[in-house]
Amino acid sequence: MRTTALLIWKELLHHWGNFLLGAAALTVAVGLCVALAITETASQRETRRVTRDLGFNLRIIPRETDMEQFYLAGYSEQTMPESAMDELAKVKRFSYNHLVASLQKKFLLEGHPVLLMGISGERAPPGKKHPPMIFSVETGSVHVGHEIARLLKLKKGDTLLLGGQRFRVARTMPETGTVDDIRVIGLLSDVQRLLGLEGQINEIKAIDCLCLTTDANPQAILQNQLRQALPEARVVMQSSIAEARARQRQMTEKYATFVMGAVLLVAAAWIGALAIINVRQRYGEIGLFRALGYGSGRIGSLILGRAVLIGLLAALSGYFLGTWLALTWAPEIFPVTARAIQPLPRLLPWAMLATPLLAAVASLIPAAIAITQDPADVLRQN
Amino acid sequence: MQPILSLTHVSKHYAMPGGSDVVCLESVSLSVDRGQFVSVQGPSGSGKTTLLLTIGGMQRPSSGQVVVAGHNLYALSPGARTKFRATHLGFVFQMFHLVPYLNVIENICLGANSEADAREQARVLAERLGIGQRLQHKPSRLSVGECQRTALARALIAKPELILADEPTGNLDPENTEEVLQVLAQYCQQGGSVLLVTHGEEARRYADRRLRLEQSHLG
Repeated sequence: MRTTALLIWKELLHHWGNFLLGAAALTVAVGLCVALAITETASQRETRRVTRDLGFNLRIIPRETDMEQFYLAGYSEQTMPESAMDELAKVKRFSYNHLVASLQKKFLLEGHPVLLMGISGERAPPGKKHPPMIFSVETGSVHVGHEIARLLKLKKGDTLLLGGQRFRVARTMPETGTVDDIRVIGLLSDVQRLLGLEGQINEIKAIDCLCLTTDANPQAILQNQLRQALPEARVVMQSSIAEARARQRQMTEKYATFVMGAVLLVAAAWIGALAIINVRQRYGEIGLFRALGYGSGRIGSLILGRAVLIGLLAALSGYFLGTWLALTWAPEIFPVTARAIQPLPRLLPWAMLATPLLAAVASLIPAAIAITQDPADVLRQN
Repeated sequence: MQPILSLTHVSKHYAMPGGSDVVCLESVSLSVDRGQFVSVQGPSGSGKTTLLLTIGGMQRPSSGQVVVAGHNLYALSPGARTKFRATHLGFVFQMFHLVPYLNVIENICLGANSEADAREQARVLAERLGIGQRLQHKPSRLSVGECQRTALARALIAKPELILADEPTGNLDPENTEEVLQVLAQYCQQGGSVLLVTHGEEARRYADRRLRLEQSHLG
């Protein structure tokens, strides 16, 4: 055992070129897979965050809402008590990850029509914690849409007069090409006071309620749950958005899976080719081992053991390379969720298991060539 | 006492395209007693290496029987034959066949059957063969004579019953040639047996029996 390990290690150092080429290829393959895995997680978060303003999974609105008006204006003219949020948040079996209450109305700001929107703090289901999906707003401050900021020449830190009250501009939002560009977002209680609708909301937005599947009918399930908790509300599901999001997620996952598979296949083929070259280089040595009485198992273990060792080294270096790549480049690709991009330590044990296995499988044919080599052919070359 | 090696009418033919066979060995019979040093002399292409590889269990004869230490070699399975080779036979080649990335002591230990005490035994052998100062050197830093002595030590470390030497002095100068042959002769005096094939006359003074292989026949 010790001799076999010594032979493997010393041979690797001797044929260092072959070793480095193989280890480098596997390191890059593992690194790419790790980077893809980390960025795929970030991509999913980014997709959810980016599409949040296209519409949440669910919009819970007052039951009496005129739906024609709702779709035309983008909000309900009816209101419901803010306590509806408390009722919803208490329901244990209600399938959601985030809830935000809002009050929206058209408003005239220095002669310009805007959508004034007050939002509450995000709530998670009892006993669960999720990273926040939207920004929070402080009292006395507003976030101003791109177009309104441009028209009124507003920038961060300016003072805005809204309904006779002064508000600090906390942020001017980037251009989106949507109705958000004429939105002014403040704290719910501030907007309720401005509109004279204290304690009232006209929407509860719910994120990540149920994934859209071909088998389930989430809206029906949710309607049943809500009827019990909030008889005065109704649920609107933005299926097209949810579907688009689900399709995009599936596409991203499939793309990542395809790329990972292709990269690993190419790396395995490269390792196999290098192993064949290595066996050919060691033709005489293997013939000698046969003459000395080394059996097929021992000779095979020299080839496969070599591959496993290269795989282990590549797994370690590949994990760190991939993590570094992801942490360095992913924040530029996914700026919205950049701060949430983290290493995935659970990938390391998987890499340490899968990479040596891949290298060993790729070296099976070269090992078979080594085992079936006729020692007489080599030893005859005197 | 039973001979250590007994060949009975061993022939080896290679079939060639076109129907004609190449005859390497023709009905060769040979026995080597324990403690005997036998040299087989013959010109290049006479079948010396084929004879040695057949005796070493690495080339199945076309016909005949090869019995080593009481075992019919080719009646054993390939795995058993390989194991038999490790425990009963030692090899010395003209081209040394040292592993280039192992130093002298590691190359010698390759021939050991057990890892326990192998390094100590290798060191003792190396000292005896005059390469005790070169233990940490790789083959690329050794002279031709030192390489062959390393290969010889590798063959001796497991104390095989029979050493098969294929032109072990073919690349050596006269001084090194004498040293190698002396070591082999001493091994026979200690109870081991040696079958040495060569095209030269150098082993004449040391061999107990001298045979000649010519045109595939042994005489």
